[in-house]
Amino acid sequence: MGNRRTYGPNREDPVRGYADTAMEFPRLLALLLIVLEWTRPGLPSPLRPICDLRVLNHFIKEARDAEVAMKSCREGCALLEAVTVPQTTVDFDVWEKKNEQTHEVQTGLWLLQQALSLLRTSVTNTALHSHIDNTIRNLLSINGVLRSLNIQEYTPPATTVGLEGTWRASSATDLLQVYVNFLRGKVRLLLLDAQACQQDVS
Amino acid sequence: MTCDHLSRLLALYAVCCAMCAPSIVQGARDFERKASMLLKAEPDNPKCFAEGMKDLTCFWEEDEERAGSVDQYSFTYTYQNENSSGCPLRVVPAAGGKRLFVCHLNKTRMFVQMDIRVHREGVLIHNRSLLIDLVFLLDPPANVTVRTTGQQGQLNVSWLPPPLKYMDDSMMYEVIYIPADSHIGRVEVAQACSELILRGLQSGTKYRVQVRVKLDGISYNGYWSAWSDPVFIETLPAELDPLILSLTLIISFIFILLCLTMLLSHQRFLIKKIWPVIPTPDSKFQGLFTVYGGDFQEWLGQTYGGLLLTPAFIYSEECPSSLEVLSELSLCPTLSSPPLPPKASKALTAFRKDDKGLRKALDDREMVDRADSTLTDGWRPAPHDHWLMDRLRAFQQHPIPSSQSSLLESQDAYVTLNANNHSEDEHLDDVLEEALPLEVFFNSRKTALCESHSDLGSVQQSSGSGRLSSQSSFEYPNHTLMPKGPGYTYMMVADSGVSMDYSPMSRVEDIGKVVIYANDYKNEILPLRRPFLVRQYPINDDG
Repeated sequence: MGNRRTYGPNREDPVRGYADTAMEFPRLLALLLIVLEWTRPGLPSPLRPICDLRVLNHFIKEARDAEVAMKSCREGCALLEAVTVPQTTVDFDVWEKKNEQTHEVQTGLWLLQQALSLLRTSVTNTALHSHIDNTIRNLLSINGVLRSLNIQEYTPPATTVGLEGTWRASSATDLLQVYVNFLRGKVRLLLLDAQACQQDVS
Repeated sequence: MTCDHLSRLLALYAVCCAMCAPSIVQGARDFERKASMLLKAEPDNPKCFAEGMKDLTCFWEEDEERAGSVDQYSFTYTYQNENSSGCPLRVVPAAGGKRLFVCHLNKTRMFVQMDIRVHREGVLIHNRSLLIDLVFLLDPPANVTVRTTGQQGQLNVSWLPPPLKYMDDSMMYEVIYIPADSHIGRVEVAQACSELILRGLQSGTKYRVQVRVKLDGISYNGYWSAWSDPVFIETLPAELDPLILSLTLIISFIFILLCLTMLLSHQRFLIKKIWPVIPTPDSKFQGLFTVYGGDFQEWLGQTYGGLLLTPAFIYSEECPSSLEVLSELSLCPTLSSPPLPPKASKALTAFRKDDKGLRKALDDREMVDRADSTLTDGWRPAPHDHWLMDRLRAFQQHPIPSSQSSLLESQDAYVTLNANNHSEDEHLDDVLEEALPLEVFFNSRKTALCESHSDLGSVQQSSGSGRLSSQSSFEYPNHTLMPKGPGYTYMMVADSGVSMDYSPMSRVEDIGKVVIYANDYKNEILPLRRPFLVRQYPINDDG
């Protein structure tokens, strides 16, 4: 009712009623608040550390499902080109003595991310698209988990050529297998050893 | 010196062997057990298992006859994107004439594919690709402890998880508990924990508890371990839950209260049904049982007096008897009227009220013919008793012809009770039995006029109410009043007429107020409150 405009006798200019005038100030105020909220200096709120490994277990299961699906694929599921994938080998003696575990994991995740994106474009089998999309989503979620553990931000390298601790994967099956092994191995070990989670547990 | 050193070394070596022998033997025994398990669980060759984070053991089985020497075989393994390596083999004898060729690695890599090849004299006999983190075969959990919790049917099982780093949250345990006297057990699964509470157990039963472990299969995988050594424990004996016991007591108490309330509210009804009151005649006979102990005779005597009661019985069974009014006795000497006819036409009850009535009756001779009860003008006093008796005696001695009016009939009205069954000397008791009212029994032969006189006298001495002297006649049954024939029983009453007043207090003076009754008389006997009380007599017209 407040917005109803009454027109003058000549129907030329709408006569602004009393309600319209009264609502001016609240409108301006609302607009101002919205703008300020957007432009608020973005300090990200500290994320709660995700230490529950069931999240990772869920990702691993879905990755394994994708690997099984890829193995049963006959057509339209080939990698167009070889991709660089991280090494998944874990030697516990060596692993425990490492200091760059975080970097290694972050690099590996980045590499896998690149490779899976390439796989997504390569695979023409529509049935596998959902698996691959899910896999890519999970990777991004893992990045978020790592971020929640106050792990420093990762700056990807300029090029993947000559990176240490990498392999070349030429088939989709190998790629997914590497992805699964990477999650089960290094990523998991990293999360188990995360400092933020250690503090919570202890 | 050298010999001493050597001898010391030898001794030390022997001691060490002795110490290590058990562990070696134990290790061998463990391997044998695991090998036997894997032989059943794993179809591929060679069978490999990892016991820890860094080791791997592979073996295959061959028959004794076909197996060659260990040198003939070669075991090579290759990690992904790496060079192959070899593994030294050893032979272990197995049961059933078999041989096991075993390869053991102390340094392994996980999460990477491993290719294994076995050659026998250059010929590939076994080929397998596996990931070591997926072939774990752990030792059974150690230190399995079972203890009872505080509650019924529960047991607390705890164990020590395998000492594997990074794998604690990937362990899966299975607990089996079997009653000692049964072969069917139940299994409980526990994930990533080293303690489990068993519920739903039977009370007071001995149970056998065992635990085994396996990796959960998400990050790591493997085979089920062997069962741990059994632990026997007995559960707590069954006992009443205090809550249930208290509730049961409260509910039963409330139920009992309700029942009691119901019983009390219907007490009378129930008593009537269960113990019905047996009616007793106590209420009717007061004092019969309490005072006289059931002696009815005594009770009769005390309560009412025998005499009083007996006429009731007499009178209650009365039967009408015919009365004969003979005539009025004329006591005037001049009279020579015949005696009363045997049977008067109309019998009338004549009552001698009193001495006055007697005199009056003697004077008035016209009253003889009046059978009906009519009111007399009055009673005149009768002559003296003695004179009357003399007259009677005379009459008796000199019977007057019936045609002649006798002295008797002139003045007095005689009442004869036609009692057929009765004779003289009837006692009261006889009368009781006969139940005939007013039976006057006189022996005509008897001439006890004096006694009758006394009888009359007694009548005269009555209260003057003019009652019939029948009672006294009863008491003196041998009196004879009627001098007539022997067949009749007579009772002489002095009466000048008919008087119907039977009230106890009526007197001669009250004759005028006497109520005249009609012809029909009923021989009713009053309830015996007073003697000599006769009311009515049935009149049978025999004539």
